Amino acid sequence: MASSSDTTSSADHTPENPESGSVCETSDTTDGPARRGRVRARRAAVMAVPATLAAGALAVLTAEGALGVQFAISGMPFTVTATELNGTGFEQFGGLDHMAPGSPNEGDTGGQVLVVTSAIKNATLTKLCQSVDLGGTNLLITAGGGAQKVTASDLTTDSTELSGDAAFNNIEIGNDASTLTKAGVKGPIGVFSQQADTVHIANLRQTNYATTAGVFRLPGLKLRFSDPGC
Amino acid sequence: MSARTGFRSAFRRWRADRPFWGGLLLALGGAEILLTMKASMKVVLHVGMQGLAGYLLPALMLLLGLLILFNPAQRLFYSITAVLLSLGTWLTSNLGGFFVGLLLGVVGSCLAFGWLPDQEPRRSRRQRRNAVAAG
Repeated sequence: MASSSDTTSSADHTPENPESGSVCETSDTTDGPARRGRVRARRAAVMAVPATLAAGALAVLTAEGALGVQFAISGMPFTVTATELNGTGFEQFGGLDHMAPGSPNEGDTGGQVLVVTSAIKNATLTKLCQSVDLGGTNLLITAGGGAQKVTASDLTTDSTELSGDAAFNNIEIGNDASTLTKAGVKGPIGVFSQQADTVHIANLRQTNYATTAGVFRLPGLKLRFSDPGC
Repeated sequence: MSARTGFRSAFRRWRADRPFWGGLLLALGGAEILLTMKASMKVVLHVGMQGLAGYLLPALMLLLGLLILFNPAQRLFYSITAVLLSLGTWLTSNLGGFFVGLLLGVVGSCLAFGWLPDQEPRRSRRQRRNAVAAG
């Protein structure tokens, strides 16, 4: 620590209080060691406390599922397949999904996609596979391949295509979508709908724009990029 | 002290007049989050703004960390912006780089915010002024 450092190091301090400039000349003579900056604990706490609270709030909201529940669909369709779907409490009705304003996937659709909304109160799926075409490669998610099956409650999917071998129990076709009762979801008034007590679909294949679920359990989850989709 | 080489003592002096650890932790946090973002640029451009934000926020954290190191005079603005960006990465970038980068970023910006260049305590300054006036 050469004595010359005292004069040079204090020169480029430009703190917010202008008084320190006037003190500099006097302090240089009295200060023995070089002046070092320090973190003031109280000053740091002014920012640390609200930041910690905000981080905690984010974590809690995410854990409760309150964050990310209201989402704008990306406008990128994804494919879902399963060898078998069993569900209790089934509803189906038409609807309209909206993309985020200015989404590049709008094309000439005006940002709206006509979808069929399927809601299932409790669903069990075997060998679930989900893939999104990202342009060249697919993001592939598989689950439920082993002994444990994928289970979901309050599952709703917004699809544009749905195929499979289906069987329904106690089906009611032609209800108004606003009067549905079996899965606890209500559609818009004046829209065609159908509902059933139980549903069984083999070789399910869906093209979806959105999926939401109260609880979605994915045992044996695998996420990877892959050239072929589902 | 005199045994130290010129470079080391110069580095210590350089470190003394800036919030070194705050800026360093913030820059490391941004870098860590960037490393956890594995999506290729082609995919990101295809997805649009939502995907781009995942890269934009940690990149800005990294930049602000370096700016705090090399332009410490503006540290208040940099650190306030950085703490907001760090919290934002929770939503945009893999839960803030699986929490590690978010933690580094928040701690780093708090250290930078709380840093002050060493000054005389207020009381002794007044005493000295009195002494000068008297003398």
